[in-house]
Amino acid sequence: MHTLFVIAGKDAKVIMRDRAALLVMLAMPLALIFILGSALGSIGQGDSLDIDVAIVNMDTGDTGQRFVEGLTGSKEIEALFNIDVSDDAEAVRTAVEKGDLTAALIIPPDLSEKIAAGEPVGLEVLQDPGSKIAGGIWASVVRAGVANASAQIIAVHTLQEELAGAGAQPPASPGAAPRMPSMTFDAVAVREIEAQVDKRISMISYYSAGMTGMFLLFGSMFGAFGFVKERREQTLARMLSTPAGKLSIVGGKAVGVLMIGVGQFAVLLIGTKMLFGVDWGQNLGATVLVGAAEAVAAAGLAMTLAALGKSERSIGGIGPAAIMLFAATGGSMIPTEQLPKFLLPVQVISPVYWTVSGFLDVMRGASVADVLPGVGAVLAIGAVLFAFGTWRLRFE
Amino acid sequence: MGSIVQVTDLVKRFGDFTAVDGVSFSIEEGEVFGLLGPNGAGKTTTISTISCLLSPDGGDVVVGGHSVSGAAMAVKRELGVVPQEIALYPTLSAAENLAFWGRMYGLAGADLASAVDDALALAGLEDRSKERVEKYSGGMKRRINIAAGVLHRPKVLLMDEPTVGIDPQSRNHILQTVKDLNAGGMTVLYTSHYMEEVEFLCDRIAIMDHGKIIAMGTLNELREVVGGMDVIDVKVENVSDPVLEQVRAIPGVSQANRTDSALQVLTPGSGAVLGKLVATLESEGSHVTSITVTEPNLESVFLHLTGKSLRD
Ligand SMILES: Nc1ncnc2c1ncn2[C@@H]1O[C@H](COP(=O)(O)OP(=O)(O)O)[C@@H](O)[C@H]1O
Ligand SMILES: [Mg+2]
Repeated sequence: MHTLFVIAGKDAKVIMRDRAALLVMLAMPLALIFILGSALGSIGQGDSLDIDVAIVNMDTGDTGQRFVEGLTGSKEIEALFNIDVSDDAEAVRTAVEKGDLTAALIIPPDLSEKIAAGEPVGLEVLQDPGSKIAGGIWASVVRAGVANASAQIIAVHTLQEELAGAGAQPPASPGAAPRMPSMTFDAVAVREIEAQVDKRISMISYYSAGMTGMFLLFGSMFGAFGFVKERREQTLARMLSTPAGKLSIVGGKAVGVLMIGVGQFAVLLIGTKMLFGVDWGQNLGATVLVGAAEAVAAAGLAMTLAALGKSERSIGGIGPAAIMLFAATGGSMIPTEQLPKFLLPVQVISPVYWTVSGFLDVMRGASVADVLPGVGAVLAIGAVLFAFGTWRLRFE
Repeated sequence: MGSIVQVTDLVKRFGDFTAVDGVSFSIEEGEVFGLLGPNGAGKTTTISTISCLLSPDGGDVVVGGHSVSGAAMAVKRELGVVPQEIALYPTLSAAENLAFWGRMYGLAGADLASAVDDALALAGLEDRSKERVEKYSGGMKRRINIAAGVLHRPKVLLMDEPTVGIDPQSRNHILQTVKDLNAGGMTVLYTSHYMEEVEFLCDRIAIMDHGKIIAMGTLNELREVVGGMDVIDVKVENVSDPVLEQVRAIPGVSQANRTDSALQVLTPGSGAVLGKLVATLESEGSHVTSITVTEPNLESVFLHLTGKSLRD
């Protein structure tokens, strides 16, 4: 056990003296964060023409349903919006707050009732303040839809009244106005509500999360380099001739990569904050947990790379390729929402995906409990990679 | 004093190839035991089996009463190993390298610090201890390589060709170091293909070739192998294969072979051979610069036993 940490400490020292390693693990991510993050605006659902909105219909009568049909049935509206019909008002609210949805329409439970009673009633249109234009378009679409529906309702009412009048009922007294429902276009107020907090993530913050999530895995490559180098230069054989067991050696190598990853993470976290003013969110504990979990995955990946690659050359090929694949599917480069659907299964096994999502969630206010499932996934991936690598590792 | 290392009928194969083929020897506590043989003889394979890097395919090795087959950890605790390759971390300093290897053997704190200081003194590199090993000369690296194997004061030190490829000054320093360590009570197994080193250092010597021990004993005992023969060393330029054959054909020559820039001839009586030898060489255009008749050395023993030179 003692020798495990002796080996880990030695490995960490050796990597820290490797200029190429420092360049790849620290300078490259900071440079890329700066370059990619300098693009204007923010990331997520921008003001594009595919505006994500949701409708929550809580109405117990059928007026609400008519609204929904009016909004979802139109070709023009479909071209502009991705409309999701949901019945979880809370989830939709959070999604708008997080910026996952641009806007939403929430239809209250008493809509039909109030209209029938001729009382004023409000529809709630939630908007993400980060995309005012798209939100505004949605609000006007809703208003038009309401006007349309109101006109229909009024027409129906009038028709009913007239049919009733022509029937058994005695004619109304002359001069008396027809009994119109008091519901008018104005009676259905469309309240535009801005989501409360601006949880938009700036480009620089997005890429800080993305690149950190990607580059934290690069420690694995240098760890694997170290292993094959020790095998070639016989320091591995020399270690094996000491009373330290194979388990201490493998464990020490893994913990060395983990230590390097944690140090790298600290530098990137502090570096992005100081250099670019990145806001990693309010919950440092959660951020550190997410980052540390990925350093564990990097340690596991180091073992797999050391087992698969016979030389620095082959590891230098396999390592970055695997990391790039994890990173591309994990949202390091472009938001995962914009990826082709067939890549989604790969995401689940990408430690980068869970890590980047975790970082972004904490930036938007997630707590330790919120990130735990992702952290668990990353640790599981790391454990599988470690087990596989250790099983296939060759010492001579 | 009993034997501290016992190698019994050791066999080690790599696939179909038998690198160590039934080797037996034992090393007494406190002695320097030499394993002499040309490249490929099986010296490193033997040492690797003793240090538990390779497991035997036959036979056994017992160190301090512990078998490599059943108690590898206990064996490793008795040993210090100086590998044939320089097995150090080039980007760490000499002091950092030594501290690392000391910790691997469980040293810590003040014990570790003083062991590192002693080891640096042993290597004669106290004043450059903070420099990275990659900046060192070959000889300095070799010395740190040795220091890293002894700083935990092992009972038995295994040294695998520790002087390969270095300048004479560093070599002398290393040979003296081995003498000093042994004087301090350390048992040493020293392998080499340089007979002078083994002659200088070792109490007993095993000569190894093709995975087998072909002779074993003290230097004097080994000389006896050559019997009453004289050894003629001829310093001569360009001896071609046909010339060598002609020399071997001279009556009275029992063996002849090329060494570095010389020709070595074994004969029961040098007087009867010298004249014919010089005549043969000169007539074939090989220019003789000097001729000496000496006592047999390990080179001649090897030549006598195998018909070839140690440094082929
Ligand atoms: N790992 C190995 N695989 C295959 N052959 C080996 C291996 N190690 C050594 N050998 C062979 O075994 C023989 C003895 O090698 P070695 O013990 O290194 O000799 P020495 O140290 O005396 O020069 C050589 O022919 C060498 O090629
Ligand atoms: Mg060798």
